[in-house]
Amino acid sequence: MADINPLVPGPPLQIDPEVGGPPTAPIGGIPPRAGRPLARFGRIGPNLVLVICGLFFAFPLIALARYSLQNVPTVLLGAHNLFDKWSWNGITLVFHDPHFQPTLYLSLRLALGTVVLTLGLLLPTAIWVHMRLPKMRAVIEFITVLPYVIPAIAMVAGIIVVKPHARWFLNSDYSLIPFYVILALPFTYRSIDAGLRSIDLKTLVDASRSLGAGWGTTLRRALIPNLRTAIISSAFLTTAVVLGEFTIASTLLKNTLPTFQATFLAVNAQAGYGFNLLALVATTVLFAMLSVVTRKRGSRASRMDAKMGDKQDPFKNDAVAFAAISRHESGTA
Amino acid sequence: MTTTTIPAVGGRTISAAPAARPKRRRSWAWLGLVPFFAFIFLFLLVPAISVFSEALKNKDGKFGFDSMREAFRGQNLEAFKFSVKFSAGAAAVGVVVGTLLAYAAATAKRPKWLRSLVTSFSGVAANLGGLPLAFAFLSLLGRQGLLTKIIKALGWDLYAGDFGLGEVPGLITVYSYFNIPLMVLITLPAIDGLKASWREASSNLGGTSFTYWRRVGLPVLMPSLLGGFLLLFANSFSAYATAKILTDNSKIVSLRLGFFLGGDISVGQDAIGYSLAAWMIIIMAVAMGLYWMLRKRAERWQT
Repeated sequence: MADINPLVPGPPLQIDPEVGGPPTAPIGGIPPRAGRPLARFGRIGPNLVLVICGLFFAFPLIALARYSLQNVPTVLLGAHNLFDKWSWNGITLVFHDPHFQPTLYLSLRLALGTVVLTLGLLLPTAIWVHMRLPKMRAVIEFITVLPYVIPAIAMVAGIIVVKPHARWFLNSDYSLIPFYVILALPFTYRSIDAGLRSIDLKTLVDASRSLGAGWGTTLRRALIPNLRTAIISSAFLTTAVVLGEFTIASTLLKNTLPTFQATFLAVNAQAGYGFNLLALVATTVLFAMLSVVTRKRGSRASRMDAKMGDKQDPFKNDAVAFAAISRHESGTA
Repeated sequence: MTTTTIPAVGGRTISAAPAARPKRRRSWAWLGLVPFFAFIFLFLLVPAISVFSEALKNKDGKFGFDSMREAFRGQNLEAFKFSVKFSAGAAAVGVVVGTLLAYAAATAKRPKWLRSLVTSFSGVAANLGGLPLAFAFLSLLGRQGLLTKIIKALGWDLYAGDFGLGEVPGLITVYSYFNIPLMVLITLPAIDGLKASWREASSNLGGTSFTYWRRVGLPVLMPSLLGGFLLLFANSFSAYATAKILTDNSKIVSLRLGFFLGGDISVGQDAIGYSLAAWMIIIMAVAMGLYWMLRKRAERWQT
């Protein structure tokens, strides 16, 4: 395009700045005053979109925060008592509820189990596919989207059908773990697959093997450190999904954190809302941590990120987007 | 295959092998996938197949399509229509606003942090579904909501008509909260794929901004936008917890299925519940299948 521009003077160059055209260095002849007003005018639409979206996303959070922190019913709220009765009570009450701790611990154990089982199953499989069966990659990728085809609530229907034949298994709280692994499959596989694509797997394995390492050592000392970003992000996203899973747990009557969260409202409405505010904050913190952790670790993918400036790795976005879908399907807190 | 490089390093005995090995290796390589496929079979396919095996039973327990037909009739059909309506609406709003927002963020130059703010926030907001979001909207737009009160003070009673968070406009509003950021995440790579040189080429040929979008921009983005629409549709159609907290409207298919499974609807109709689940799976399969095809097309421009 650098070849074309100098040839055609005038009009096209004015449009260039509006598009946000990249590296083409501004060529001497553009009168800055001719370009700028146009560019500014062109920004009105996008800026309006940004502002309206900002308001739309802020409002529900503000309303939830007010409801949880201020003990004044909305009906009675007015200019005169806008600053009355603000307290942390709505948030701290939940910690004194006897059901809080056991449900939290169960959800944490389920999250840990799901992360371990996911990595134990997917890491070897994905590495094997990349090394030995590259033709199967498309097939595996397709299989990992299947959990979206079967919505969590439909999966529960299936579990209920099978239940009489596998009571010994399904009666245990931990029987949720394999189903959570399935639920998380679309994004856990995607992020591990993206991680594997960003490293030179064959060279790493060959180098390690030729130095005399077995498969275990290769995995532990050569592959896992290089796949750190992918592993951490899939672990985070899985944790986020499991800690919020409501659909399966509530229909199968398991006492996890989200099912407690839904019933706690009946105990104390304000504290119920406060707990949800807390859950929102926790989710936000979890995701903020994810982006910090994955940015700092020095894998090749994140170095690529840095090179691409603020254009983030599309595959990471992809994994986050897929995680979001799993979360909606299954409940999420 | 990997062993082929080892001879280069180590040098001796193995160097004879490569010719023979690949064949023997390939025939056994699939064994490495057995645990994965066994897992998928047990925990994904078995539940799915058992849904269909129950759905395809008549009252006398023999194979037949009676309950599948029944699950697509009367109130059940109304429920499917209602769900498709609000899911399509929520997906359309998500696609349009999400694309505009992504475009605004991608082209904004002034504050440099704007783009990363929008992407990071989208990652979080897309994941804020379920209970907390439902409660946030109840406290904002519920009967006693903050915004409901403010709007009423301005002279417009939101609940005078048949507005409700469980009706179509209400559900679209709430679902937009995660659909819009989800669309931003999906569509950003596509928007980044629009090369500035295409726009220059278009204007060099005398095209206006409008012609550029009509002849170049939109056609290139189209697979991504349609794919996004299908994904958001599937996302809204199968969402359960958000809807469950917002309303007990049994016109929403996922909630209706939940009522069947929870035993809230008469016991003799078990098969109808499974047939609802089966229909849900079929609809999702169509949506996701189309999405898969479009996605493969969209990836062409994103290298």
